[in-house]
Amino acid sequence: MTTNLSTTSAILLVGHPNVGKSVLFHRLTGAYVNVSNYPGTTVEVTRASARFDHAVMLLDTPGILALPSRSDDERATMRALLEENTRCLVQVGDAKNLRRTLTLTALLAELGVPLVLALNMHDEAAARGVTVDIPALAEELGVPVLATVATGGEGVSELTGRLPDARPPQAMLRYDTDFEREIARTAEAIARLAPHPHLAARGLAILFLGGDPEVAGWLAARAGAHFADLEALRRQAGENAEGDLPALLARERTEAADALSASVIQRALRSSPLLSQRIGQYVVHPLWGVPILLGVLYLVYQFVGVFGATVLVGLLEKDLFEGILNPAFTDFVTAAVNVPWITDLLVGQYGLWTMGMTYALALILPIVTTFFLAFGVLEDSGYLPRLTVIANRLFALIGLNGRAVLPMVLGLGCVTMATLTTRILHSPRERMITIFLLALAIPCSAQLGVVLGMLGGVSFSAVLIWTLAMILVLLLSGFLAARLIPGRRIPLVTELPPMRLPILGNVLKKTGGRLKWYLVEVIPLFLLGTFIMFALDKLGALPAIIRAGEPLVSGWLGLPKEASAAFVMGFLRRDFGATGLFAMAHSLSPVQAVVGMITITLFIPCFASLMMMVKEQGLKVALAMVAVIVPFAFLVGGLFNIALRALWMPA
Amino acid sequence: MSPKHEARLPLAFIPAGQEVRLAGFGDEIDPLQREQLIAYGLAESRPLTVLQQRPMTVILADEVELALEHAVARHIWVAKESGEA
Repeated sequence: MTTNLSTTSAILLVGHPNVGKSVLFHRLTGAYVNVSNYPGTTVEVTRASARFDHAVMLLDTPGILALPSRSDDERATMRALLEENTRCLVQVGDAKNLRRTLTLTALLAELGVPLVLALNMHDEAAARGVTVDIPALAEELGVPVLATVATGGEGVSELTGRLPDARPPQAMLRYDTDFEREIARTAEAIARLAPHPHLAARGLAILFLGGDPEVAGWLAARAGAHFADLEALRRQAGENAEGDLPALLARERTEAADALSASVIQRALRSSPLLSQRIGQYVVHPLWGVPILLGVLYLVYQFVGVFGATVLVGLLEKDLFEGILNPAFTDFVTAAVNVPWITDLLVGQYGLWTMGMTYALALILPIVTTFFLAFGVLEDSGYLPRLTVIANRLFALIGLNGRAVLPMVLGLGCVTMATLTTRILHSPRERMITIFLLALAIPCSAQLGVVLGMLGGVSFSAVLIWTLAMILVLLLSGFLAARLIPGRRIPLVTELPPMRLPILGNVLKKTGGRLKWYLVEVIPLFLLGTFIMFALDKLGALPAIIRAGEPLVSGWLGLPKEASAAFVMGFLRRDFGATGLFAMAHSLSPVQAVVGMITITLFIPCFASLMMMVKEQGLKVALAMVAVIVPFAFLVGGLFNIALRALWMPA
Repeated sequence: MSPKHEARLPLAFIPAGQEVRLAGFGDEIDPLQREQLIAYGLAESRPLTVLQQRPMTVILADEVELALEHAVARHIWVAKESGEA
């Protein structure tokens, strides 16, 4: 915990999850944030210069369900409030759920920071017959209140124009007399022992009494030994309260928000639900939910697996790279460079261009592009949170709740990105199990494309065996992990945002941002991997490695000894390793192809995801996971080799 | 007027389509999850509509749809709206 304050003046966007903060941030700064129609997308604070004033820094904070902070997202937002030199807050609220918005306003108002309230998604509120008397609300709060539709840019320039009018809001409530006494006593002690340069002592006292760990940490660092006095005040307040103090304080704020929202809101009577609501209900319907899910999966497979991995890869790899670019580049390098080893390094068997760039651009890029487009459409539509409802029962088997389906599905695009997204899960236990399963049994889109391309060429049975093997490993290892990792499963409670027609611009922006992340990560690693393979080959080490790996690779897995090279590549990126196996597909029997793909899929995903595992779980846990995953991959691969040879067909 | 007797029922038992009022949270609900539910806008005497019960309880409260696992919905007590059977 640091008590240093940032010196640059900042405007903080704060609000509940999924109310459009990130879209508004993009409108105000032009900077890309991973924007989704599901709660919890922004897992870190993002900052960028404001378009309207480059000297001002705008911060997009993670969505907060409530304050005092509890989840990682809420703690990140609270840290930003404590540590930034805040010029003003822009609270982004959901216009159709004013009561919840004002519950947060009631707490922010106590911090004494200038505030502007943007009531976003005004169009959705209007469609539901909800009308907010904005002038009346602005008068009650004493701050500018604006109606916005961030996705369409409506009200955004008005919002920018009203920022100079931001004021600290009027207090929305006086708490119960006994609570007020405790708050005043604690606020006085904070003002004396650990004053904050921007935040009001009263607001900090309410957060501290409410059990906010970030505020407690900040006060402890600031007050030093005197923090014990503050702790004593909190303990006393807790003992004096008839019930759970944080819950009692929260209830009073909710009641105040309820009263204010009732006075400024009008609801028109609606005879029937909106079409979007009906679609949303069908998607999680006990009867129709699963067929709809299967239909969605089929469409995604057609788009990614057939169009991306077959049609586009064919066009790029065979026609463009092998047909035109590689011969031309090889001729050019051979003519221009007279040093044989440099020619080899660039366009040889393990050439940076012929292997590294060709793998990255011709094989992987079309697959990840189509996957991220499909994922973007699904998340923009609001389908993904509903998927958590459908998947919840299945995930209960592995000690998780349906929320874990979001990183898992994202993992089918990029496991590294998905590992970061596990922060949306509520408990450290859920995060650890999900990260382990992501690393073990969720193939990223690049690898999935290679697997489907290779096994699809063998037979449908081969694809089916690989798929069943992955599901079996996922369920079995999840089941075991859930029993070995201490802690209990948290039942799912989740908001289902409205179903919306995806906006092409949003989907393209998201896909562009994700592809940029992916390419920045993948190309250097592919080039490094190719270089290592080249060096091992030139130094004569590759044959030695192949010989050393022979008992395991040929004896246990039943693969040709040359497959060892693919596993060396797999240590860097498992899709790189899978591509290595793909390249020798013509010399593999059906059993060898399936066993090779099962083993390489269960490998650690890639160096970048390993680094992300270290970042999220610490070095010890990450290494422990690797120590389980690598032998486990070979164990399962070998068992399938034995079983398939006995049951399926001769190799 | 005699005081009205209202049965408190678990939210998980209410058929889809019915409007009810929240009567309280059971002690079985984890304190953090209770805070989460309050933050979602569930408060005593607030109306909510049950949209479905399978595979999870889905409710509409103030234009916000929430999905709750039965393990949670079983411990949320509700009272039927007056005038309903």
